[in-house]
Amino acid sequence: MFQVRLFGMLKTLVAGSNMLEMPLADGALVKDLVDSLKVEYPELGKLLEQKKVVVSVNQEIAHWETALVESDEIALLPPFAGGA
Amino acid sequence: MAVETDADMLVRVQEGNFSIDQELERVRARSTKIGGIAMFLGTARDHSKGHDVSSMAFEHYEGMAQKKLKEIRERALQDFDIIEALVLHRYGPIEIGENIVLIIVGAQHRADAFKACQWCIDELKKITPIWKMEYTPQGDVWVEEHP
Repeated sequence: MFQVRLFGMLKTLVAGSNMLEMPLADGALVKDLVDSLKVEYPELGKLLEQKKVVVSVNQEIAHWETALVESDEIALLPPFAGGA
Repeated sequence: MAVETDADMLVRVQEGNFSIDQELERVRARSTKIGGIAMFLGTARDHSKGHDVSSMAFEHYEGMAQKKLKEIRERALQDFDIIEALVLHRYGPIEIGENIVLIIVGAQHRADAFKACQWCIDELKKITPIWKMEYTPQGDVWVEEHP
């Protein structure tokens, strides 16, 4: 299972959880992850589709063609709101 | 005042408050060539987008947030004619009026210090994975973004 970390308002879309587990094969692409999320969590999928939420892999912003392995640190990042 | 001046201390994400005097001294102590220091201090306000705010909390992506702040400092040192830059952001619960974020830039001259300071805070808002929850009388709100 691939673990996907969630931050900020995204937790409210998945019943307050800060982690999702998605069944994907090693070598799957970020866009495959997004497709799976769209099915399981339509609201989350919509935000990803609209690029309002970005995917990071190993703490770097990823592209939809980025390949994933199970040990990757994957996270979904809503729009940043640091500063004052 | 003796302060630690290691590069690690110049980029931090921390829960507790910071002392502006101490952080200013940290930058000043880096070089006697510094002739101008610009600072941006972001504080917690009690009003946002037309509603009252009682308090707030910041969440950060541990590791990635530090990495991005470090990147901001390094790019500022590379792209502007400055001598030192310090970038700090707090996380966790923050009361109205408290400090949130601090940028301090030391340069030989003021113009470069001002320019780099503004660039640092603008860039921080763009690339640093930090999120803000505002507690309001109408309920808790995750802030999407500020200009």
